[in-house]
Order: sequence, then structure tokens, then C-alpha cells
Amino acid sequence: MTDKRFDVRRLPAAATLAITCFVILYIPMVILVANSFNSGKVIGDWDGVSLRWYAAALQNDAFISAGITSLILASCAALVATTTATMAALATTRTRGFKGEGTIHLVLNEPLMVPEIVLAIALVIILAQVRQFTGYNGLGYLIIAHSAFCIPFAYMPIRARLEGMDLTLETAAADLYAGRFYTFRKVTLPLLAPGILAGFALAFVVSLDDVVISDFLKAPGQDTLPTYLMGQLRRNLTSEIYAISSLLLLISVLIVVGAWLLTRKKT
Amino acid sequence: MLDIRNLSKRFGRGESAVTALHEVSFSIKEGEFFTLLGPSGCGKTTLLRMIAGFEPPSGGALVLDGQDIAHTPPNRRPVNTVFQNYALFPHMTVAENVGFALGALGKRQAEIDETVGRMLDLVQLGHLAHRKSGELSGGQQQRVALARALAPKPRILLLDEPLSALDMKLRKEMQVELKRLQRETGLTFIFVTHDQEEALTMSDRIAVMSGGRFQQIAEPRDLYDQPANRFVAGFIGETNFLDGRCEGGQLILPEAEAPVPAAHDDGPVTVMVRPERVVLGAAQPGALVLQAKVEQLVYFGTDTHVHMALANGNTLVARVQNADQSDAACREGETIPVSLPGGALRLLPQEAA
Amino acid sequence: MGRSSEDHARVADTRRRWALASPALAIITLFSILPLLVVVVYSFLSPGDFGGVHWKLSFEGWFSVLFERDIFDDTVSLSDAHLTILTRSVVLSLATTVITLFLGVPTAWFIATRPQKQRAFWLLLITIPFWTNLLVRTIAVQEMIRSDGVFNRIMLGLGLIDEPIQMMFTNFALLVGMAYVFLPLMVLPVYSAIERFDFRLAEAGYDLYASRLYCLRRVILPMVRPGVIAGSILVFIPSLGAYVTPRIMGGGKSMMLGNLIEMQFGQGRNWPLGAALSLTLTALVLVALIWYSRLTGGGSRRD
Repeated sequence: MTDKRFDVRRLPAAATLAITCFVILYIPMVILVANSFNSGKVIGDWDGVSLRWYAAALQNDAFISAGITSLILASCAALVATTTATMAALATTRTRGFKGEGTIHLVLNEPLMVPEIVLAIALVIILAQVRQFTGYNGLGYLIIAHSAFCIPFAYMPIRARLEGMDLTLETAAADLYAGRFYTFRKVTLPLLAPGILAGFALAFVVSLDDVVISDFLKAPGQDTLPTYLMGQLRRNLTSEIYAISSLLLLISVLIVVGAWLLTRKKT
Repeated sequence: MLDIRNLSKRFGRGESAVTALHEVSFSIKEGEFFTLLGPSGCGKTTLLRMIAGFEPPSGGALVLDGQDIAHTPPNRRPVNTVFQNYALFPHMTVAENVGFALGALGKRQAEIDETVGRMLDLVQLGHLAHRKSGELSGGQQQRVALARALAPKPRILLLDEPLSALDMKLRKEMQVELKRLQRETGLTFIFVTHDQEEALTMSDRIAVMSGGRFQQIAEPRDLYDQPANRFVAGFIGETNFLDGRCEGGQLILPEAEAPVPAAHDDGPVTVMVRPERVVLGAAQPGALVLQAKVEQLVYFGTDTHVHMALANGNTLVARVQNADQSDAACREGETIPVSLPGGALRLLPQEAA
Repeated sequence: MGRSSEDHARVADTRRRWALASPALAIITLFSILPLLVVVVYSFLSPGDFGGVHWKLSFEGWFSVLFERDIFDDTVSLSDAHLTILTRSVVLSLATTVITLFLGVPTAWFIATRPQKQRAFWLLLITIPFWTNLLVRTIAVQEMIRSDGVFNRIMLGLGLIDEPIQMMFTNFALLVGMAYVFLPLMVLPVYSAIERFDFRLAEAGYDLYASRLYCLRRVILPMVRPGVIAGSILVFIPSLGAYVTPRIMGGGKSMMLGNLIEMQFGQGRNWPLGAALSLTLTALVLVALIWYSRLTGGGSRRD
């Protein structure tokens, strides 16, 4: 450029530090993936490219069953969280204030304020009693526990969407003889759908990512992908662990890039 | 004081380059109220931003008091701007906004306070010194922006469409206020606007811009009475254009009954006449007389616009004062003679429309 | 007491809203708030013989957070082990916040000042690690600095060192791990603050003779401050309560509060102490949150 533009957006060294930041973020992930393709047994001793660790992982029953548990758990928790959060968002928006509004907000945000490890310990203590009392030992505890800390995440985008919505549309529907439920089904819900979808996706990923609470609450045979990985780490670092990690990384990349492409097309 | 020499600006490079400003040259005198007038995209804001220092020129010089400042950064130019959206710092009070430049220049607090007080008095906002800038009305924000730009005593004050966000009434008030401030401070103002009325009422001189070029630089009256070309004539005020030709010192109009003398080179010309100079009736000696059919009368309170069609289909508009011709001299549908007095005609070279 | 129909409508509306919110409230109350209250109760009981608690009031749990009693002569002294871990948790979390600020703010600035079309791409590069499992990212950063890892292999290969540098299970490893893992949390809120910043204000600053530094300090920073504070809180709070990353990077040697808490709930350990430690951690987090809401919500000016 011949122009010596006085650019108000320039900050000395920002670009250098930013590129450094991206390099720092990605080098470990790239090396992790590279190691997962190593056919050798010792991590870091390069012995040619192979998919043997991926094959090993896919033939590993414990890994597959952890994957299925993760999927069931995240789907159920996200479903419960999104449904209840949608109702809660409908209750707390579009109001000139009502009695107990502050309390509801406080409760809905409470899971964000308590450290995960504290919540995990607290749940272990109380559920030990419940398990003894009911004799039930299924996945239900994990589903509800995950729903609890996923609710704030589902609630945020739904509430934001509701607040940005044009109230006159519903008034217009009412004006056109639509009943309350009809209006909700035909006007409110379709308009709210993107928020609900975003809330579900957020809750799903948050549940899928959880290590601590699942690890503390799981009964035997209830390993999720992260807790399975955590369990493997307690033993030895193997190339298979890297292959499984790479698969989890791939899932995140697919979800994020997919969402990115979807939103990009629209604009 | 400010000499602009062959200043130009191109955006982009190679094939896709866009020229925002072709080489322009002009001078601004000390204490002048100089206006850049033109439609959006004419290059007036680019020119202003170059004077302020936000855009480097692609070529040419910007000489202020004998020094070329074309490549001096904005924070070293004795030139301050009143921004279009005011750009008041929302996290600061009115007083902090006005004192900002003095703080940046490292002045003592006592001096800053004194100047800020004086500036706020000047714009009549002393009582709002400790309000946050977000809590002000549009007109008040405008005054703060003015005080802020005046506080460091710039050599030139740049105003980028400062009144465009205000409503009609406030705008008229601020026009008067701005003119008063300029007289009181004796400061040089460069004012950017797309509003011709605003330009005419406030400026000492106006530069009409279009397509990145200067069309004409003149005092308001000259601009109105003697526009240099069809663009200027059309942009400033309302105008009738008629096509004709000059031959041997005579102006010949196809619609007219007889030619009139005209001092113009032979060839095709565009005849321009302001609607208020059109006279209904054939009384005037030495005037072009046309036959026109009255199509529509539009009542405007102080005057009435008479829309007429000429024999060849061209239209002609006359503006008739209602005070003296209360019973309109014509009715819709009738054909009447119309005079264009010789002094009201302005001949422009014909250009492809 | 005659109620107007307007009052009735308001009461009905409030009742309807509570009913709508109740499933979410019930889940959170049963699975988040109630357990926390049980922890409060446990913190005031005596430890059981094989883990668990005796239902006998005792302040020993809270006492043991900071102090210890000599087994033989009952003299009270500050508990060095606990104090070290507490200090480490706070200091490392602050250090993590500072490092992520140092890298994250320029990165956010860089992204926010890219041309509109490129911005989405750079943001994507931040969102990918943001949404990648914490455990996976910890494993990735562990590979960099473990004894057999990338750094040591390169250094050995270049002949710069003769034997691997032992970095794992140190405060340094912990800091590297947490800074790496929490970096994306800093970038996003700072980015959205800078992105919302009206750069015409910076132009106005320069027009009014501000130098780059003066403009940064007086115009830009005050305007993006809420984003910087939000980013700091988003990094500081999970750092303070971190469990997974310290567990892998710090092991048993370099523990944080989260790991100390977990230890207390193993077999034959001190549950009331664990409960008291949990509440201490929660209190620290709440202090940070209150500080945050006062900084941003209070709206009061500093100078």
C-alpha cells in the first residue's frame, strides 16, 4: 500500500499476538490428531500412517457403549432442559414485572454459579441416600442432573429470542380470531423455533462435554465418552486414547462448522 | 489560509479502483463559512475526511498556513470536526467531552475547567455540564459536539452534515445558532451538506460537487442566478430547461413566437429560467413569448405553482405570488401566452442529459 | 376487602407464570439447590468412621479448612497443606486470567477489526476449541509438555538438553493447561464488546488531538471494559473451581481446591471438611460474581 492510512482500527502488535494465540490453540490439537494416526505403539515414535488405533477403538465394546450412553444421556437431558426452559422463558418474558420474578431468575441461574465439583459432590451425597431408598440405579439420575445444569444454557437463547420477538404479531393473531393455544401453536412457536433449536444444541453440547458430574454420579456400566476417557487416562497414555480424543474433536468440528455453514448461507 | 492543490482520492487498486475525488484545487479564506454541497456519493465527505486527516490523499497537497499537512495524522492537525452522528463519548459527562482535547494536549485542570465553562456558556449548556452525554436530546448533543470541537481553538472547524439528524424546527434554529457562533468566534468553517437551502442560507461561498468533481464555486446569490452548468442549475432551486439554439446573436426557441437577442456563440444551447421569473401574459417587451396550456395549479400558500405544457410537449412551471394575483390569472385547461423576460434567461452549453 | 378485576387478573397472571416456570424450577431445586443445602448441613456434622457423617453438631469441619490440631498435644496451628492449596488456587486462577487477557484481548481486537466477510472465519477458529471437550483439550496440551512429549522430544533431538525436563505435575504445568483450556472463554466476550464499539468515537478522539495511547486509555478501553471484565470472570471462575485440568496436569502433587474437595469424600476421609471446603469454594466464586455485578451493573463511576 502506498497510502499511509491513519487507521483507527490498528493496534500495534495485536496481529502478532493474535496469530500467536491461534498457533498456540491449534498446534496441540494438530499434534494430537497426528499422533492418533501413528501406527507405532509408542506415542511420538513415528512408525508410519495407519488407522489401527481407530479400528481398535471401534472394536472396543466399552468405548462403543460409552458412546451410546453419551448420546442417550445428552439427547434426553437436552430434551428435558429445552422443554422446561422454553416454558420458563415464556413465564419470565414479556411482562411488566410480577411477584417473584427475581426469585425465578435467581433459581434458573443458580447452576451457573456453583462450581461443577461442588455440585458433583453434593449430588453424590444426596443420591447415595436416594439410591438406597428407592433401589433404582438407572440412567435417570444422570439425565435429571444433566438437565438441571443444562437448563440455564437452553434458557439463554430462548429468552433472547422471545424478547426480540414482535408482540404485535400475536396481537394480530388474536385480532384474527385466533385463540390463545392456536396463536401459540401457529405464531409464537414457529417464531420461537430458532431460539429453541439453539437452546437444544447448546444444552446437548454442554451435556456431552460434562466430565465431572457424570464421573461422580455414574453407576457401574454408565460410562459416558468423557468418563471413559478419564478412566483410561488413570491407567496409561495410549495411542487409542488419542484416536478417541480425535474422534471427539472431530464431532465438535463437525457441529461447529455445520452450524457456521448453516448461518452463513442465510446471510 | 487553506490551499487545496490537485487533491485526489482513489479507493482500491487496479481495475476495481474507484475515484472518489478527481484532482480538485481551491482556497479557503480566513474566517470564511465555506460549504461543500452535493448529492450523496459526490465526494464531499471524502474531501472533508481528507482535510480532517482520516483519509490519506492519493495525490496533491493540503496547505494550511503555508504547511503541507496532507500526511499529518489527525491528532496533529489544528482542525476539529463536528461529526454527523456527533460521536460524543457516551461514558463521559458533557464537561468531560468538551474538555477531552485539552486533556489530550496535557493542559492543566484549572485551564481545562475554565475553557469548558466558557465553551458551554457559548452554546448555552452550562447547566448540563455534569450530565452523561447519552441523557441529552438531539439538539443538546449537537451543541455539545460543537463546544467540544471548538474548545481546542482549531484553525478550521469541519462540520459533516451536522444538522441532518435534527427535525425541521430544530434545524432552522441550529442554522441561525451556527451562523452566530461562526461570527462570534471569527473561525473558518467548512460545512458539508446535501441540503441546498441550508447551504444557501448559511454560507459565504459554496462549492457544488458531483461525481468527485467541483461543478462551481461561488457565493450563494451567484450560484442561484448564474449557475455554471445544467447540474448546478438543477441542483440549486427549481428550474425550467428549454432547448434552443443561437444564430448570429439571436436566440431561437422552437416554441417561441419570435427570437430575442442573445450574446452567445452560435450553436445549440440550454435555456434556463427560474419559475418565479416566468410571467403569465404577453406584456413584456424584449421577452420570449410562448403559448402554453395550463395543466395543473398547485397551491402553496404564499404562492401557486402553475404547471404548463408547451406545444412540443415540454413542461414549464411558473411560480405566481398569491399576494398580488389573488384571482389566479389562469384556469386549468386554458391556453395562455407566457413571457420569459430577457434578463431572466440564462444560456448554458447543451450537454447530453 | 373488595378486589378489583384488575387485581384478579394480575394474580392469575402471576400464578400462570409460576406454573409455567415450575418444572424448570423443580429440577434445579431438587438437583442443584437441595444438594447444596445438604452440603451446608454436612459441614456442621462430625466425620463418620468410614466416610459419611455422624449426626452430631461440630464445627471441626470448618475449623479444619484453615487450621489443624497437633495429634499429640492439641496445639492449634495454621494448616500449611490447605493454605498452600487455597493460595495456589487463587494465585493460579489470577495468573490464568492475566495470561488469557494478554493473549485474548489482542486476538479479539484482531478479529473484530477484520473485514466483515473474514470475521466469521476467524471466529470459527475460536469457536472450535471453545466447543471441544475440555478433557480432549487437556490431553492435547499435556502431550506438549509431558516428559515424553513434543517439547522434550524436540529439545532432546536438537541436543539442547540431555534428559527430559520434568514439567508435568508442577504449578507451571497447571498454569499452561488452564490458560490453554480457558483461552477461548476470554476471546469471545471481549470480541463482542470490541465489535460493538463505534470506531467513529476513536476517530473523534484522534480528531481532538489524542495520541494512540491516550485514545486507547480514555476512549476505547472504557467502552470495551464490560467485555474485558466479563471475559475475566468467565476465565477466573472456572479456573478457581477447576477439577479435570489440575487432575491431569497437576496430579497429586500440584492440587487445586477442586481436587482437595474430591479427596475428602474418598473412603475413610473427612466429609464435613469436604463440605466446608466446597462451601468455601462456592463463597469465593460468589465473591467474584458480586464484584462483577457491582462493576458492571452498578453504573457508578470510579473517578
